[in-house]
Amino acid sequence: MTNRYQNRIELLQGTLDLLVLQTLRWGPSHGYGISQAIKANSNDILQVDTGSLYPALHRLERQKMIAADWKLSENKQRVRVYRLTTAGKKHLLAERSRWSQLSDAIAGVLDPAKRESEA
Amino acid sequence: MKIPTRRRKQEQELQQEIRAHLDMATHDRIERGESAADAKHSARREFGNVALVEHVTRDQWGWIWLHELGQDLRYGLRIVRRNPGFTAIAVLTLVLGIGANTAIFSLVNGVLLQPLPFPAPDRLVGATIYFPKGAFAILRDRSRTMDIIANTDSTEFNLTGKDLPVRLTGTSVSAKWFSTVGTQAARGRVFQEGEDQPGNENVVILSHSLWERRFSSDPNIIGRSIILDNVNRQVVGVMPASFRWPSPKTELWVPLDLDPRKIGDYWGSSYMPIIARLKPGATVEQARAEIKQLRLQVLASYAWRMPDDTWQKVSIAPLHELLVGDVRERLLLLLGAVGLLLLIACANVANLLLARATTRQKEIALRSALGAGRWRIARQLMTESVLISLLGGALGFGAAIYGLQILKSMLPADMPRLAEVTVDSRVLLFTALLSIATGIIFGLAPVGGTSRLNLTKALKTGDRGGISGTHRLSSLLVAGEVGLSVVLVIAAGLLVKSLWNLSNANPGFRAEKILTARVTPNQSFCAEAGRCQMFYRDLVERVRAVPGVTDVATVNGLPLTGAWDTIPSDIEARPVAPGAHVPMLMERVCTPEYLRIMGISLLQGRGLAEADGAPSAQRVVLISKSTAERFWPGKSPIGEHIKPRWLDTWWTIVGVVGDVREYNMTQNMAEWLDGEFYTMYGAHALNGSGPEAAPAEMTLVIRTTEEQSQVGSELQAIVSSLNGDVPVSQVETLSGWVREAVAGTRSTASLFVIFAALAVILGAIGIYGVISYSVAQRTREIGIRMALGARRSEVLMLIVGRGAKLALAGVFAGLIGALLLTRLMTSLLYGIGSTDPFTYVSVGVLLIFVAVSASYIPARRAMQVDPMVALRYE
Repeated sequence: MTNRYQNRIELLQGTLDLLVLQTLRWGPSHGYGISQAIKANSNDILQVDTGSLYPALHRLERQKMIAADWKLSENKQRVRVYRLTTAGKKHLLAERSRWSQLSDAIAGVLDPAKRESEA
Repeated sequence: MKIPTRRRKQEQELQQEIRAHLDMATHDRIERGESAADAKHSARREFGNVALVEHVTRDQWGWIWLHELGQDLRYGLRIVRRNPGFTAIAVLTLVLGIGANTAIFSLVNGVLLQPLPFPAPDRLVGATIYFPKGAFAILRDRSRTMDIIANTDSTEFNLTGKDLPVRLTGTSVSAKWFSTVGTQAARGRVFQEGEDQPGNENVVILSHSLWERRFSSDPNIIGRSIILDNVNRQVVGVMPASFRWPSPKTELWVPLDLDPRKIGDYWGSSYMPIIARLKPGATVEQARAEIKQLRLQVLASYAWRMPDDTWQKVSIAPLHELLVGDVRERLLLLLGAVGLLLLIACANVANLLLARATTRQKEIALRSALGAGRWRIARQLMTESVLISLLGGALGFGAAIYGLQILKSMLPADMPRLAEVTVDSRVLLFTALLSIATGIIFGLAPVGGTSRLNLTKALKTGDRGGISGTHRLSSLLVAGEVGLSVVLVIAAGLLVKSLWNLSNANPGFRAEKILTARVTPNQSFCAEAGRCQMFYRDLVERVRAVPGVTDVATVNGLPLTGAWDTIPSDIEARPVAPGAHVPMLMERVCTPEYLRIMGISLLQGRGLAEADGAPSAQRVVLISKSTAERFWPGKSPIGEHIKPRWLDTWWTIVGVVGDVREYNMTQNMAEWLDGEFYTMYGAHALNGSGPEAAPAEMTLVIRTTEEQSQVGSELQAIVSSLNGDVPVSQVETLSGWVREAVAGTRSTASLFVIFAALAVILGAIGIYGVISYSVAQRTREIGIRMALGARRSEVLMLIVGRGAKLALAGVFAGLIGALLLTRLMTSLLYGIGSTDPFTYVSVGVLLIFVAVSASYIPARRAMQVDPMVALRYE
């Protein structure tokens, strides 16, 4: 339990948006599904706080990155399902390339030798 | 209505979304083998605070504050409606506080803040000292920084025609007066350049009210002639109803008669205020520097040598400042007083809210537990208090519109700009802001109280004992209230005592049972002195014969009415070097009976006699006591000589009489006057119109058998039987003039008394409320005390003692506050210092008495507590 909490990483500002958009690339999903997917894909390291997730979803919806529809779940429950819009897809691509630039840059700073050899 | 519905749907969907999340999480956990109950519990725990998540999510929707405000308002309205008693008391208190402030602010706004109702009013300036006509002409022609105009304070006219003659107050203005001020006539035109030159001046402009009253709003009035002082003048214009300048009494305007050939009039008498519009680009400082230079040029061009120090202190000031003058201090003082009153009202309502906040602790704790942040709760409480204060403000605004009418009738009619005062949009804005500020101020108290709230304790115990800080805060508020009341009551007490002192000050004459009236033949009629004297002599005989009249005299002006003639004089014993200050003496021309009727005491020598008025008689004068002491200290002035500067023959002093309050009730004489003398109305009477003329503006002084005499109503008939063109005006008892002389102090004192009374009532309610509340809170404790053998009288003392302690603290603070604050009003006090110990002590005792009385009622209730009932109380 303690271990798990220590491994949790506070998400950088804006990173959650990226994760949500990326998750929705595999297909429409509801809030619970998104949080479970992020958790599973990060090997339980990224725990999305509902207090951040839902504001993020509603914000992205307002920015027209994603759209929401009410659908029936497998359990015949009405759920709000989010899907990526065209604008969202474009935004995701742009953000992804920025993200890889950023992570390359950070990796370079952390391990200069590696960058030299590649060059 | 669309937005709220959409918002509600959004709310429901959010709740559904979260419920689905929880259900799915629970479902997953059950599939993983958890028990249904455990699964539900852990899913909830994992999710966190539902209300909080909803809240932060809603924040993303935009306009959230507006939505919450709506919520707060709806909730606040419900609270306000559900507690009608509380709301009524709170709102009523605020109506008093805000209403009084709004009414006084309307005055301050109309008189001090509103610019003068002319174009570019900030460019209008004026000289701080009056100048004669000749000086005005020089200033007007030579100034490079100002377009200078002038008007007499007032010029009176006899209007004769087919109706009864009337005396009208008008003003003589220079030709460019209207156009420089920047105003137009409603009908016809204003004066044109050159109309103040000799030969062109027989034109007149009427006020709207005169046109309506006397000429039945005749649309063809322009071009017609009317007879003013036996001279035909052509009506060229009628002013709009809103134009009442320079005074609300002004009924007509005529051109200034600028004739250098009338040397006495041109250089000597008729001093006028000098007004100007700054020329484009010129500043007040430049004008100020210029007037100092121009003063020297005026003195150099004078018809005779003036003292070198004449107009030495002249300066230029904004016209608004000059007009408002000493009223500013009085108004600001009133504004301060109502400000204190509002603070008291705030403290009272804050206390009510505090008392209620303690009973609402549980509700607030619950809301807090359900996820409402501290700020959110504070905002809710604030919304409630602002709602109450806005309600109070709205009603207070209505009350102020009504109150302003009463206020205006209480204030002296000659207060500058009083007629212009109205409730305008600026006053409305003031009231709105004041209400909101008030709501926030008194709303702070319960918020301060509840933020110290211990959640668990409040929820668990349902503790009614109150938040410890609340009690201290409410005691502080009540003590503060008492303190502020003390300040107001002391201020009112000092003013009332001043009014009493003023009204009972010995004015040097007896005012009772004296009727006065101005009887004013035309100047042309009095150009022949004998005819004029005969008229007055006949009139006095006729009036003397009226039943109810015991004695009659005539005089050229009454004390306290601002009517006097100033004579630059030579005193034989004290020759004046050229250019040095010349003694200015005030002249009273009267018949011998005047001193007797007025009860002015003869101290030395003899009084005036009928024979002194004969053409062949030697010219004699009486002087006042202070004049004698000033020029002949330690000696008898009898047999000494004085004379007007321009005469060659000396006048002999034959008597000394007591001083009279000629100027006002606090001062015998204006500062610029050096003394006073009395001369016999007769062949020698001085008159500015010419050496042969007699004064044409005399006042009848009639001693009657009753204070309320009917003689006044018969006067016009008597006068008309002698001369059909002579009007009677200003029929007024001498006591009435004395009352009018203290009108300013009376109105200020009355207003302070009203405010102080309100303050005491509010203070008493405050103490009563706090003590009642504490009695209710301590019922159980009192029951225990009594069960343990405390006597009822001890319980009484316990409760009353608390009230007295609060009052004592408040009174102490109030006395200190009064010591500091009443210093601001010293100029309004008369015959009493601002730290008068008697007033301070008696007000302190009074307030403690009120406080003890206010706590006695709840204390009696405490005394009657039945211990058995009290112990079972909770």
